[in-house]
Amino acid sequence: MSTATDSVDLVGDEVAVNLVRAALLAALMGAFAFVSFPNPLNPAVPVTAQVLGVFLAGIYLGPAWGGFAMVLYVLAGALGAPVFSGAGAGLGEIFGPTGGYLVSYPFAAALIGAVVHGVDGLVDPEGVSVARLVGAMAAGTVVIYALGIVVYWYYLDTSLVAAIVGAGLAFVPAEAVKMAAAMGIVRSEEVQAT
Amino acid sequence: MLGYEPGDSLAHRLDPRTKLAVQLAFAAAAFAHTDPRGLAMLTGVTALALASARLSPVSVIWGYRFLLPLLAAAVLFELVTLGPPWIELEAAADPLLASYRTLLIVAVAAGYVRTTPARESRAAVQWAVPGKPGRLLGAGVGLVFRFLPLLRRDLAAIRDAERARLGDERSTRERLETVGAAGLRRAFARADRLAMALSARCFSWNATLPRIRFRAVDVPAVLLAAGLGASMVV
Amino acid sequence: MLELDGLIHEYDGARAVDGVSLTIPDGEFLVLCGPNGSGKSTLVRHLNGLLEPDAGRVLVDGVDVSDAPVAARTTVGMAFQEPRDQFVAATVGGDVRFGPENLGLDHEEIDRRAANALSAVGLDGREDDRIETLSGGERERLAVAGALAMEPSHLVLDEPFTGLDSPARERLLARLRDLHADGTGLIVVTHDLRYLLDDADRVVCLADGEVVVDASPGDATEKLTEYGVRVPGR
Repeated sequence: MSTATDSVDLVGDEVAVNLVRAALLAALMGAFAFVSFPNPLNPAVPVTAQVLGVFLAGIYLGPAWGGFAMVLYVLAGALGAPVFSGAGAGLGEIFGPTGGYLVSYPFAAALIGAVVHGVDGLVDPEGVSVARLVGAMAAGTVVIYALGIVVYWYYLDTSLVAAIVGAGLAFVPAEAVKMAAAMGIVRSEEVQAT
Repeated sequence: MLGYEPGDSLAHRLDPRTKLAVQLAFAAAAFAHTDPRGLAMLTGVTALALASARLSPVSVIWGYRFLLPLLAAAVLFELVTLGPPWIELEAAADPLLASYRTLLIVAVAAGYVRTTPARESRAAVQWAVPGKPGRLLGAGVGLVFRFLPLLRRDLAAIRDAERARLGDERSTRERLETVGAAGLRRAFARADRLAMALSARCFSWNATLPRIRFRAVDVPAVLLAAGLGASMVV
Repeated sequence: MLELDGLIHEYDGARAVDGVSLTIPDGEFLVLCGPNGSGKSTLVRHLNGLLEPDAGRVLVDGVDVSDAPVAARTTVGMAFQEPRDQFVAATVGGDVRFGPENLGLDHEEIDRRAANALSAVGLDGREDDRIETLSGGERERLAVAGALAMEPSHLVLDEPFTGLDSPARERLLARLRDLHADGTGLIVVTHDLRYLLDDADRVVCLADGEVVVDASPGDATEKLTEYGVRVPGR
């Protein structure tokens, strides 16, 4: 053997698995950005599945790794991976009209994870009550829209009313659909948490 | 879609850290000087940045066309009022300047996206965030770049299968649920195999970073970043 | 030299590997065969300490793998099934560097190893190619290169011919013959012996987690068909 192997500090299996799951969840969320569905309530604004990714990150990875997954999503997008809406990428998106939403995702996922799992250790999401899951996702949605609207308002120098209408109300109804979808995914047999 | 392409433009030869510094300084300066004169000067800087990346403004606008309706909506909302005088040009001035500012920042960032490969971005992340957190962020960002095309293909295949089986008659919720569940299941299956492969290849905390280094060509760009930063206090 | 001594591995109480003892000398070309679910993939994952034995020991060059995982993983390189899920970088060059980077080697040594590994599998000059653009055969060979960059003395390939057409299979086989001729030990896991009998030194067949055949290729073929292994002309 030609290399001195004593100095190599291996990343433990558990950390490696969590890192990889977080990275793949971030990539999945980027893939969701390409998938749009007709909005049942407002056909003019199609639904993209990205926020579903925030829900799933919190629910399946917990507060720490779920939040980390969203940090990876935002960072990879800022550094050029086409993961934002419309396959967008670049640091500019953070300073754009949807920058507030992007910045909110790590906080929202961490909050959802904390409500679903508590702060010590992960639980099996299938065993979590419907009320708790819905409450977690609703709280996450509030964080997303609060930051999203405030940043839109600040960046684009509009009135607050314009920001609420333009960046919030047009999209909020679709979030209920995504919450229902996330509930269905948690209850389906297809996905195993561990 | 704008993405990295190999090349030998000036921007390709710059250190990723230099390019990130220019972007951040540019954004800060643009927020500090959101007035016609400031934005006119920054338009010149943007032209310079795009030229150094050999990127045309048309392809940038095309690449970010999804932002345009959001920006236009902000301007229109302030421009049009629900009663006399119906049109308020003055109220629309601020959102118009802000929207233009957004376009400039996005365009400068597009230069980075086009000219910086994932491995250099990863090295810049680990330079900026030392230690284990930086290693996790750097490795994670690299994996997002690598697996995004794969998972996009997964989702496309899932949707095709779904359409072939059930047509478009199911509700949005049901379709989101099917695509989400199948996508998540495949992503986790890939993750388990990938984690095994990482361990087999000695995934370590103290790995050698990809090469990045400041060179003579970085000097003018660093000065530009410093100038943009200094403009905020002028 | 690799030694398995009374190795037992269980998944939820079911024995996947049931008391296997084997000694694999350096430079040997061994084919590990057996029907699906016979424990082949589980067994080889013990050779570099990716799994922990429920009983028994695994020694690499006389050292227990659980005491020296880095030594085991650099001595025994591994290319898994589904190569797509084991690449960590977006480009060929980025991926093949991953292992040596983890070892903390300097850039010159990493470059040298990457170049050697890629040339050993016939992918020289392809460093900047995106992994998404590779054919199935090229992906399999890149997976081999990723393992070779660790400069292992044994190389494990798990079902390397799955999904390859015959020209791609021939190209891979030719590279494996060259590696074997240069002294690298090969352990090829397969349920289909047809392409390997002429080259292998030894055939080991597993059924229900136990070794049922351990012989030279000539002697082994008689008994193999009864275990559901595909053998030429039978």
